[in-house]
Amino acid sequence: MDLLFIFEWLDTSFLADMSKAYGGVFAVVQMVHLVSLALLGGAVLITDLRLLGLVLRDVPSEVVTSNMDRWFSLALIIMAVSGVFMSSAVAIKLYYNEMFWAKMIGLSVGALFVYFIKRPLLAHPHETINVWALRSLAISSIVIWFTVAASGRWIGFS
Amino acid sequence: MLNEWLLNFARWLDSFAWSTAIHESFYLYAWIESTHVLAIMVFLGMLFIIDLRILGFAFAQVPAARIAERLDKPMMIGFAVMVTTGLLLFFAIPVRSIQSIWFRIKVVLLIGAGINAFLFRNKMKEVRRDGGEEVEPSKRLRLGAGTSLFLWMGVVMTGRAIAYDWFDCHKDLSYAMYWVAGCVDEMALVE
Repeated sequence: MDLLFIFEWLDTSFLADMSKAYGGVFAVVQMVHLVSLALLGGAVLITDLRLLGLVLRDVPSEVVTSNMDRWFSLALIIMAVSGVFMSSAVAIKLYYNEMFWAKMIGLSVGALFVYFIKRPLLAHPHETINVWALRSLAISSIVIWFTVAASGRWIGFS
Repeated sequence: MLNEWLLNFARWLDSFAWSTAIHESFYLYAWIESTHVLAIMVFLGMLFIIDLRILGFAFAQVPAARIAERLDKPMMIGFAVMVTTGLLLFFAIPVRSIQSIWFRIKVVLLIGAGINAFLFRNKMKEVRRDGGEEVEPSKRLRLGAGTSLFLWMGVVMTGRAIAYDWFDCHKDLSYAMYWVAGCVDEMALVE
């Protein structure tokens, strides 16, 4: 399915008018995006390093997971909203950018992974889950989210 | 005087073949910058959670001192990578960086964040020694955590702003702005 029409709509939207006309606003949104990325990184790493048994070993992993989940979701929402705004400034260019699509695929895989695999699985008592399943979950999560972050940075280089 | 010295230092760094090599190598520069961003995720991510715990917004059921102590090592690993890649990025483009207002504000904020972190760590050690890790953070510690959040967000934001050329030396700026940015040649022209 060709998604060009979405980018064409975004390119002529109110968001695009604002992001193109006010460089300062675009820059501030970009900064907020980066700060949210750091928060997302912290939430992902603390959860996954705990599942791997590398940090906070004297805190139950259920406590770590439940505390980090809401910060992860908050960071993801801020990043999504700021990301749409940033995309509006160069919507058509992004449509033809391979790295942008790599990031979008990574982001979709990451969101599906978190909300349909990781969280439902971790809703069970962690001691009842196979230790290798927990480790695979943690390593996959770190790889997915760091790939999303790196590919996001490479949009600017490509 | 300070501006001249800083500019000469940047020009000296710029004279190294490696400086040009990093700057002109598309993949090397891009990978160093990507690693810098990933290290920010590690360092700042850990720091945010520690500060949010001190402020009472995360891990309310776990002692603050325990969270700060257990996350210290991964945070410092992220910090080491972030500083190393940051220095390499500066080494790759020293003259423009030293004449960037954003870079200068970033360095001032970094110094402030460093002093705050030093005081914060000492205070945390005191808390652990005097009352054990169960003690809830004092008002002073919470103030330190809030200051840390504010300063590090400022560091990230000004770091990102370095890419923008709004106040670069080639722009038509006031003498005061040239002085703040360290545009030594432009200041001489105005004089």
